[in-house]
Parts: sequence; structure tokens; C-alpha cells
Amino acid sequence: MTKETQRISVPLNRAEGDLEVHVDVRDGIISDAWSSGTMFRGFEDMMTGRGALDGLVFTPRICGVCSLTHLTAAVEALDAVTGVKAPDNAQRQRNLALMAETIQSDVRQSVLMFMVDFANREAYGSHPLSREAYERYAPLAGTSSLQVIQQTKHLLQIVSIIGGQWPHTSFMVPGGVTSTLEVSEILQCRMVLEHFRKWYEEKFLGCTLERWQAVTSAADLEEWLEESRAHRESEVGFFLRFARQAGLDEIGGGHNRFLSYGSLPLPSTSAVSGTNGQLLGAGFANGTTVAPFDPNKIGEDTSHSWYTQDDASAHPSRAGTRPYASGPGGEKYSWVKAPRYDETAVETGPLAEMIVDNDPLFHDLLREQGPNVVLRQLARLTRPARLLPAMLTWLHELDANHGGDFYHRVDTIPDGEGAGLLQAARGALGHWIRIVDEKIDHYQVITPSTWNGSPRDEKKERGAWEEALIGTPVRDPAHPVEAGHVVRSFDPCLVCAVHSLRKGKKVGRVTLNGGL
Amino acid sequence: MNSRIICIGNRLIDRDMAGLAVFDRLQAMDMPPGVEVIEGGLAGLDLLPLLEGVERVVFVDTVHGFTDSDQVVLLDREQIIGCLEGVHYGHEAGLPYLLTVLPKVCEGRMPQDIRLVGLEDRCTPEGIVRAAALSLSLATRDTGES
Repeated sequence: MTKETQRISVPLNRAEGDLEVHVDVRDGIISDAWSSGTMFRGFEDMMTGRGALDGLVFTPRICGVCSLTHLTAAVEALDAVTGVKAPDNAQRQRNLALMAETIQSDVRQSVLMFMVDFANREAYGSHPLSREAYERYAPLAGTSSLQVIQQTKHLLQIVSIIGGQWPHTSFMVPGGVTSTLEVSEILQCRMVLEHFRKWYEEKFLGCTLERWQAVTSAADLEEWLEESRAHRESEVGFFLRFARQAGLDEIGGGHNRFLSYGSLPLPSTSAVSGTNGQLLGAGFANGTTVAPFDPNKIGEDTSHSWYTQDDASAHPSRAGTRPYASGPGGEKYSWVKAPRYDETAVETGPLAEMIVDNDPLFHDLLREQGPNVVLRQLARLTRPARLLPAMLTWLHELDANHGGDFYHRVDTIPDGEGAGLLQAARGALGHWIRIVDEKIDHYQVITPSTWNGSPRDEKKERGAWEEALIGTPVRDPAHPVEAGHVVRSFDPCLVCAVHSLRKGKKVGRVTLNGGL
Repeated sequence: MNSRIICIGNRLIDRDMAGLAVFDRLQAMDMPPGVEVIEGGLAGLDLLPLLEGVERVVFVDTVHGFTDSDQVVLLDREQIIGCLEGVHYGHEAGLPYLLTVLPKVCEGRMPQDIRLVGLEDRCTPEGIVRAAALSLSLATRDTGES
């Protein structure tokens, strides 16, 4: 038996931005991992000295995938500076647009970016469900793939109606939103959402949202899977059957620590309930033990990142973005910083939301299995089932409260500091701003992929997906499919973690290897 | 609506902002009836709804490797699709993916003519003027002439 260690690169096309993952494989098992953002992130420095409101225009343009999420974080940071709370109807409109973007991302990522690998005949030709996987997920041809593109396209209508335009809506402003919705527009949103819900229930769940919400334990999940052919043939059912047979519930463990900033503030009067004023609760979880979230415990460590700062770790309200592509050889290896919560590495994303929010199904599964690829992806596949009912309720409430306030006047942005912390599709997103003389004195952004794709910190603790890769078996080092699954279960998106672009991108010259 | 000019790119990145510089120039002009100018940004697959129910679409974007630096190049739909190097969707799925998948998911009327006005590599004032003029000329042609 060989004892040699082989270092290989994990091919990760389909991760926007510049991401390289290298792993050491010893006796067919990954023994170490390094995740590297390969382009300089200088986005925050563009903001310094600009007008107080400029974050509303600049930050949504960081990313074409989650522009609304950045807009929301930017406006919530300014709300915090002004101390003005958006009126109920404004909050409903903001939430609805953000939720539409999140659901679109969940459905697309699941089918077009994760389950598409099930159609890889080289990797899964001998899998018992290989043929069906190919029919469903083959790129540009799979029945599920094409349906997902069509159906998620319709969700954009909600954003465009609420935002008044698409792309590049700027309808969120400090104090509320720029306009209210006509009754006909609310009805149009409801029609689009009801149509999407019906499709999601039939295609993704094979049952109603209510039936899925009754699945609250690992035993319930098995019972649900066996209950009907519709459940087994749904995307969730097929995912479970395929992924388990492929052993994906046995890889991708990680730190077993989770962070959610919480998200979607509740209107003061609403039939939708949540935790501490938000639909999605905030917290830090060590396994299934959930503790309250303290934003002061966030620090950015640059020990292994190509940046320099006065202290090894600094809170984002003070941390700067000073590139330093030098230092002790080999210690620094990424343009992504290492955010830490209470000085520990954490993962964020849909699974973290489920755990922090005390979802009984995911608590039970986590206790039984520990974190793994299947759990992360199952959380993403089923998150729309949590969001859709609240969206429909808020649309109904917008209709019932038509004519209500949508804006509280904000004439100037005072000196001060604020933060916009919420859950983007990929996890915890934060914008920190300091205003001096109506200008931006300091701006800092920590994206979900910065949390999940961070390099090591001062204590040499690995980032979330670096750690999740440890122990993963690699059958063929030339095609490390298993490692790709692990990283992709975090839905990496480095365009806003590392703000740049590679040559030829817009003509489709994806330079990283395909074949996963 | 007969034609849409969709300018794409990223204003925050110097090497990818040419399409949006053209957008700014076109925005400052009076558009003829039936021509709409869109800031497409980085919307990628989310541009699909803008390709339905319109006769002609003219994209404007930075390109690399088609002609000399600072020059403007005109590509048709097949040439754009020919640049597709991978069949997988990703966060950075660009025009080749968008146009490849369009016929399979289009629920309205397909555009009869799709072109890309490409600004090679850099964003010079002369290139922007040329690209804006070419885009407008393409957008206002009679459909039958394409």
C-alpha cells in the first residue's frame, strides 16, 4: 500500500470568480486542503470618500447573482445609521424581493450546479439511477434543467414589479422603498408566486408545502420517502435516493459549527411569526446547541491572506483592506480574508439557517449523521418550502393594507456607524459602514463565500470547506468528483468574495476545468 | 417593441465596463420609437425575459481575442454560441450559454436577429462612439434586412 501523498487541484468550474482548491491525497483520502481566492479584492476601497448613499448603487453591482441581497444589506446598514425603521409595507416589499432572489438561487443551484454532476456518466455510469439522472440533469437538455430555467425566470417578474425595473433596481432607500404597489401589481405578484408554488410542490416536493412541513425528524423523512411514488420521483426524493447511494451523506463533515445572522425583519403587525423580530432567527450553533448571535464577536483574520492590518484579527467596522502580496513564503495563500466568529471557523448557508432556527428535521439529522454534503444540499433544496408561505402571507397583507406608508422621510444621513446583516442565498452577508460629513469613511463587506471559503487563521484553523474536505475519499485523483461535491455543497461564489474577472469571461472562456 | 440594445459588463472593473460606457452614451441620446436600451450588467441568465417578444436584440460588451485592441467587432448569434466552451451552467454563465439555451426555454417569440457589438479589450472614447453608432444602426434596421 502506498504511503505517498499526492497534491492535486480540484477542478471547480461553475464557481464564479477565481477559486482554486488544492488537496493532499494520502492513501486515497484527502488529508489536507487549501482554498485560495486568486484575485485581489479591492471593492471596499472604492467606497471610501463617496457619498453616503453610494453603497446602494455600487454594492448591488458586485454580483449579478445576488444583487438584491447586497442592496438589502446596504440599505439596512444605512437604516441603522439613521435610526429610521422602514414602514411595514416597505419591509414586506423588501423581504418579498429578497426572498424571490433567494428561491431562484436555491432552485437553480440545486439542479443546474449540483445535481448536474449526477449526469456525469464518467463518474456515475454504474450508479443504478444513472440513466434517470442523465435524463433529468444533462446540461442544456435535461428535463429538470430546462424546467428550472423556465420557472425561475418567472420569479424575476416579482422583483421587477416590486423594484420597478430589472436589472439594477434601486427601490430600497433609507427609510423604506421608493414607491408602493398598485393592487393590480400585488395581484400579479400573487399569480406568479402561486404558479411557482404549484410547480415547486409538484416538481420539487411531490407533495404540498404543508405535507413537507410535517416532516420533522429523520424517521419522518424515511416515512415521507416511502409514502408515495410522487415523493420518491420528486427532485428532493430523487436527490436523496441518488446521493445516499453515492455515499454523499458520508463526506463533507466540517467544523460542525454554524452561523446565521438572521434575516427578513417582520413587520410590526403580521400573521407571519419568527424569532426576535425576524423570520429567520440569528445565532451561532456548536452542533445543535444554539447560542444568541453577538455581532461584536465577528473578526477578520489576515494571517494567511494577502492583506496586512495592525492586528491579526479585527472587527469589520475597523478592519481595512490593505493588500500585501508578500510576507513569509507559503503562509499567505489567498485574497480571501478569514472571518471568524468568537475566534473560530464556522460555516454558513441554508443548513446553518436550519440549525440556528431550531428546525426539528435538520437538528435530528445533524445529531444522527453530523454535517455532510446531503444535509447541506437538502437544506438548500427545501428552503423555498419555508419561504413561500411567508411570501404569500405578506402579499396578502400588502393587499389588505394597501395605501399604507411605504417611506419615512430621511433628509440626510448623519455621522455614525451601522451594519446590515442578513442571510443571502449562500449564507451570512454583512455590510459595515461609517459615515462622516455625509461621506463614506469606512465600508467593509463580508460575503458568505468569504466565511465558507476562507483560508486558515492565526491558529492555523482551516476554513469551512477546507475542513469539510478532510477525510473525503478520492477514487480517481485525475477526476476528484467527491471533492467537487463537498465544495459545491457550500455553493461557492467568489465573484463578490474576490472582486475581479478573468479574461474572456463574457465570451464563455471558462478557464477552469469541467468534468465534475 | 422592435429592438432591444442590451449593454452588459461590470462598471466596477475597468476591463469589463465598455458595454456600460456605451449604455451611458445611448442613454444620453433620444432613441427612435421601438428601440429600448437596457443596462444588462451581470444579469446573465436573468436576461432571458428581455429576449422574448422582441424582433431584434443587440448586445454590447467587452470581448477579448477577436480583433485588434480598441477595435469594434460584430458577431452574430452562431458566432457567439460558437464561443461556448462548457455546457454547464455557472454563476458566470455568459452570452454563449444564454443564447444556446434560449430556443429550449423561450416561451414567447424568439428574436429574429441577435448580434453582439464587441469592444475589443479596452474602452476608448472612439470605440464607445463607434460601438454606440453601430448598435443603434443595427437596432433600427428593418427586420427583413438582417
